[in-house]
Amino acid sequence: MRPAGTLVSMNASDAELARRIAASAPGAASDAEAELYARLAPRVRLYGLRHLRDAHAAADLTQQVLLMTIERLRDGKINAPDRLGSYVLGMCRMVVLDIQRGGRRRERLLREFAGDVPLAASAPEPRVDTDRLDDCLARLAARERTVVVLSFHSERSALDVGQELGLTAANVRVIRHRALTRLRACLEGEEAKP
Amino acid sequence: MNAAVCTTPLDLPVLLDYWLGDLAPDAADAIEEHLMSCAPCADELSGLVALGAGIRRLADAGRIWMVVPGAFLQRLIEEGLRVRQYRLVPGGSVECTVSANDDVVAARFSADMRGITRAHLVKVDANGREAHRIEDIPLTESTDEVVVIERTDRVRALPAGVERVRLVTPDAAGERLLGEYTFVHTPSS
Repeated sequence: MRPAGTLVSMNASDAELARRIAASAPGAASDAEAELYARLAPRVRLYGLRHLRDAHAAADLTQQVLLMTIERLRDGKINAPDRLGSYVLGMCRMVVLDIQRGGRRRERLLREFAGDVPLAASAPEPRVDTDRLDDCLARLAARERTVVVLSFHSERSALDVGQELGLTAANVRVIRHRALTRLRACLEGEEAKP
Repeated sequence: MNAAVCTTPLDLPVLLDYWLGDLAPDAADAIEEHLMSCAPCADELSGLVALGAGIRRLADAGRIWMVVPGAFLQRLIEEGLRVRQYRLVPGGSVECTVSANDDVVAARFSADMRGITRAHLVKVDANGREAHRIEDIPLTESTDEVVVIERTDRVRALPAGVERVRLVTPDAAGERLLGEYTFVHTPSS
């Protein structure tokens, strides 16, 4: 959980937080560590969902990557805090590869780094109002609805969806974009144009 | 990059292309580099991901009326969903119901779809009058059937009765009938 009475400015950049952690005695900048964890967790989770397509695996990835990142910041092993995003992305790629190869290093990494790094609560994952979404989907044209569902249900590319519907990938992308724009407008309470 | 400001925000088509695997590897790498340093763009993508998850929940609950390729039904079955399917030939009828155990209910309308570029589905009442029309249904790769997922909650609420559906295609004379299909519905006991 984010510690009460945090001393970290919410306006501090990621790099400033990283520098503060690196400049402090290990564990002494727990407020900065918690803030950085909370900020990076949703981004790492997205990477995990995109590459692993599994919520539990993405949660595991998030924990591993951020524990390792904070430990290495503490140890002064990240030389360019201004490029923290690139560093974290590199860690994500390495851990995903490891998971895809069978995760031989995972337990060792967690044992090594779990220690006393504070696991901050990140922002809750956004959720949509299912009943409202139901209503908004019903307002789409039949072709738009099919394209949107085929795209998102199994996260399929425009090429894959196009092959099933006899459409070009470019056509699917146009329909998909138009439908998503209408859906989001409808969900936000604006009248979706027919 | 500051946590709250993005000077080069990624737009919706780019985020969609990234998420659904439509970008070349180099372009996807560049998007990931941006997302990892940019909270506003990551938030935007999180919203899209949540929307996709909502669509999936509704589809798996049989709450979306839609025309789909037959392969989509197969994917639902492989995921463990209980899919009740009815196959109808032109002029044919089927006795149908939906039980509490069914997740998804689908009708497979057999029809000669070769050369068809536009089609509409028309529901007609007991007197043969048009009651509801769905214009320009999406056509799939199939040349011999149209697969429709009906809303399970709607079918569950139906009393015993008869529903007719016509599959038509526009032509120079107006419309040509591709098939008429009759459902004799009995509520699940």
